[in-house]
Amino acid sequence: MGRRRFLEVAAAFGALLAVPLDPAVAARDGAAAEADIELTDWIFIDAQGGVTLGLCQPEVGQGSYTALPAILAEELDADWPAVKVRWVMGRDAYKIQFRNEKPSQKEGASTSTTKFYARLRVAGAAARDVLVRAAAARWQVPVSDCATESGMVRNTRTGDTLPYGALAAEAARLPLSPAPRLKTPAEFRLIGKALPRRDTAAKTDGSAKYGLDAEVPGMLNAAIALSPTIGGWLVRINNEAEIRQQPGVRAIVRLDDGVIVVAERYWQALRAVQMLDATFSPGENGGLSTELIDRLAESGLDAEIGVTALARGDAPRILGQNPDQVIESRFSVPHLAHAAMEPMNATVHVQPDRVDVWGSIQSTDASVAVISKISGVAEEKVHLHIGFLGGSFGGKIAPDFVAQAVRAAMAVGRPVKLIRTREMDIQHDHFRPNNKGRLRAVVDRDGYPVAVHARVCGQSLFATTRPNWLTKTPLGDYDESMVDGIYNQSYEIPHFHVDVIQTPLPIPVYFMRSVGSSAGVLFWESFITDLAHKAGIDQYQYRRHLLRNNPAALKVLDAVAAAASWDTPPPAGTVRGISFDTYHGRGGSFVTYVAEIVELVRKGDSWRVARVFCAIDAGLVVNHNTFIAQIQGGIGFSLTSALKSEITFNRGGAEQSNFADYPLLSIGEMPEVVPIVVESDRPPQGVGEIMVAPLAPAISQALLHATGRRPDRMPFRAEVFKASA
Amino acid sequence: MSIPFQLNGRPVSFDGPEDAPLLWVVREHFGLTGSKFGCGIGMCGACTMHVDGAPIRTCVLAVGNVRGRAIRTIEGVAADADNAVRKAWNDLDVPQCGYCQSGMIMTATALLAETPAPTDQDIDRWMTNLCRCATYVRIRQAIHAAAAARQHKS
Ligand code: FES
Ligand code: FES
Repeated sequence: MGRRRFLEVAAAFGALLAVPLDPAVAARDGAAAEADIELTDWIFIDAQGGVTLGLCQPEVGQGSYTALPAILAEELDADWPAVKVRWVMGRDAYKIQFRNEKPSQKEGASTSTTKFYARLRVAGAAARDVLVRAAAARWQVPVSDCATESGMVRNTRTGDTLPYGALAAEAARLPLSPAPRLKTPAEFRLIGKALPRRDTAAKTDGSAKYGLDAEVPGMLNAAIALSPTIGGWLVRINNEAEIRQQPGVRAIVRLDDGVIVVAERYWQALRAVQMLDATFSPGENGGLSTELIDRLAESGLDAEIGVTALARGDAPRILGQNPDQVIESRFSVPHLAHAAMEPMNATVHVQPDRVDVWGSIQSTDASVAVISKISGVAEEKVHLHIGFLGGSFGGKIAPDFVAQAVRAAMAVGRPVKLIRTREMDIQHDHFRPNNKGRLRAVVDRDGYPVAVHARVCGQSLFATTRPNWLTKTPLGDYDESMVDGIYNQSYEIPHFHVDVIQTPLPIPVYFMRSVGSSAGVLFWESFITDLAHKAGIDQYQYRRHLLRNNPAALKVLDAVAAAASWDTPPPAGTVRGISFDTYHGRGGSFVTYVAEIVELVRKGDSWRVARVFCAIDAGLVVNHNTFIAQIQGGIGFSLTSALKSEITFNRGGAEQSNFADYPLLSIGEMPEVVPIVVESDRPPQGVGEIMVAPLAPAISQALLHATGRRPDRMPFRAEVFKASA
Repeated sequence: MSIPFQLNGRPVSFDGPEDAPLLWVVREHFGLTGSKFGCGIGMCGACTMHVDGAPIRTCVLAVGNVRGRAIRTIEGVAADADNAVRKAWNDLDVPQCGYCQSGMIMTATALLAETPAPTDQDIDRWMTNLCRCATYVRIRQAIHAAAAARQHKS
């Protein structure tokens, strides 16, 4: 790891997140950065003693802008309220590795804290260590006479103090210790507390800058119209002359699969694109429809064999030998759009020897590669300036919208900001894949599963986006994400067989908050609900029994049951459902336990989701404030999928396009949320996606108690909430 | 033809077509980018501003309609140090991604002007803005807290 002590220029750095993304301001930061002294890849101290901490994981709402710098500040003993945070990119220290991929800078899979916790602590402690040694040398006292607090070193004998700024130049000349002493948890002042978010004030006075707000001198604005069918292509523009004459229109850029209208102002581009009359060829997917997609997935469910993801014991034989004892359930989930509140956008300035891009971008390196490829400018000369993201949920990882903006900027030879309309954002999203599940079991005399066969069939996420993540078997490859929450579930099942059938579809798909678990846990926990129900055993006790040898899981399950007083029957007009999941981070990166109890309350002739208890053991919690916020928001996000969201296809394209037909949860539908933090002494585990998956099966179980019917397809329609007379 | 109106208390005038949406006029011509674009069809409320005090979704409001009227944006609300709503939002750390929050604060401020002590039902009826991060739990708490703080003061 090369350690450049003095930054020559801030070339590798974008603007401060908290300041406007205006290049004038960025340049000022660059000038300031020239005087910065770099103690590690993450810690920069200016001549006035100001401490700036590097942030390499975009703030999408999850709180990385607060939690990650807090880890550095903790070990550094920085003056937390005074530190600044700066977006950093381009160095190995900022990269993380997923599976067998080459390390890259990106954000995803709930790993910002898990992957960086140890790294940032060591960086903070190493910087503190050189500052202490510099002070000791200055005072000519042993290091043991030096203590640190709030951005200064104190001589414990004399009480003299030296601010970090006064020591930075000397400290930067000392070699960094590879294994500096880390604080014990008892010494923490920031980690494990409820820290206020550092970005709140800017987000309540309109000053927080998102990609949408980028402003570059000479910039034009662009709107895009893409082929209504997936894989369709542009044949001709029928009213090009008319579009060119619209007020403000400067250029029409043809893409293989769409048209970009570039105008002085965005509203002019928007208006012109709405007038656009273009002919697209539907290509080969013109016949694609949800009916067809469903039929494909359905047919796989009953296929003779699938690709085996897990084979413990002899489940297929036991099921085959006891056909009349088999309990079977089937489930279905649709494609979903991410629909982050900020539509996808990027602002691009291409110059002969550099490209600058401002935008709402979740995957840094992947975007740089695409920008470099299209522009022909080397990757080192691509500069991303990432401000706040107006949500992402995985939707701003695929950089196709960035590529489109680069093409527009190159075509007009001026900086261009391209903003997708909501319609384009939803219809041309990379969707959460559909799939269907069939679960079959034979139970013992008490009603507990002896043998289970779980089969999932649908579109593969990995086959489309990460072919090298597919697991190879003699019978073919399979995509483990299709059985997330099933193949790695925690219940004790003596004979357990899981297999997968992939039905290739041309639909672009991508990771979405909680990935395969959003389907897998629904299938799995709903099936467990069915088995417990058939056995006539309390749903909580049934799960306890299956987890009897797993104390960590039981602790979380018991915590949620205690909080919701499960053992006391609910009042009349209230029904409950309980669910559990062990969430395994991709490639074994973490393990988080989560249990939820939902209460439905009868209102008039239907049931409504009134309260959700959610207990999580995610190891050490870095920031309790944002942790609780993630639980609250994650429950609402999940409820949106459970009750409302569905992307259907017809004539080769998505049928939904805006919040009228792809509705989001409203405040009146938001349940009360009771978060239960189950502390454990493990290091921080993933949080952001964990609460999402167990909600829907808890609701479906409660509905079983309320109405006698358990819904088996998402989203749960209003009818299933109708109270039986 | 020019269209005069007040923007956060300052007289301004827009030289352009009557049918330009107010949201983009304010963002692009007057450089106030706190109001956001979420749907463009009046459904999400990210673009909410006050027009003579009423919360209006400005992505679908032609600027010609505000001739002579008083427009207030999040920047105007934030300049008012006493705004109890914004203070409650800060105290409770309501925003996650934050993108919807300008609109939320504008709508909540108008709600409290109309209904100083709103019930949960009032909040449900009035706050039809959308938040994909689902920060609704804290939004509700913040509205109640702001209502209490204002009542305490008066
Ligand atoms: S952008 Fe105006 S209501 Fe959504
Ligand atoms: S805070 Fe992200 S959309 Fe509301």
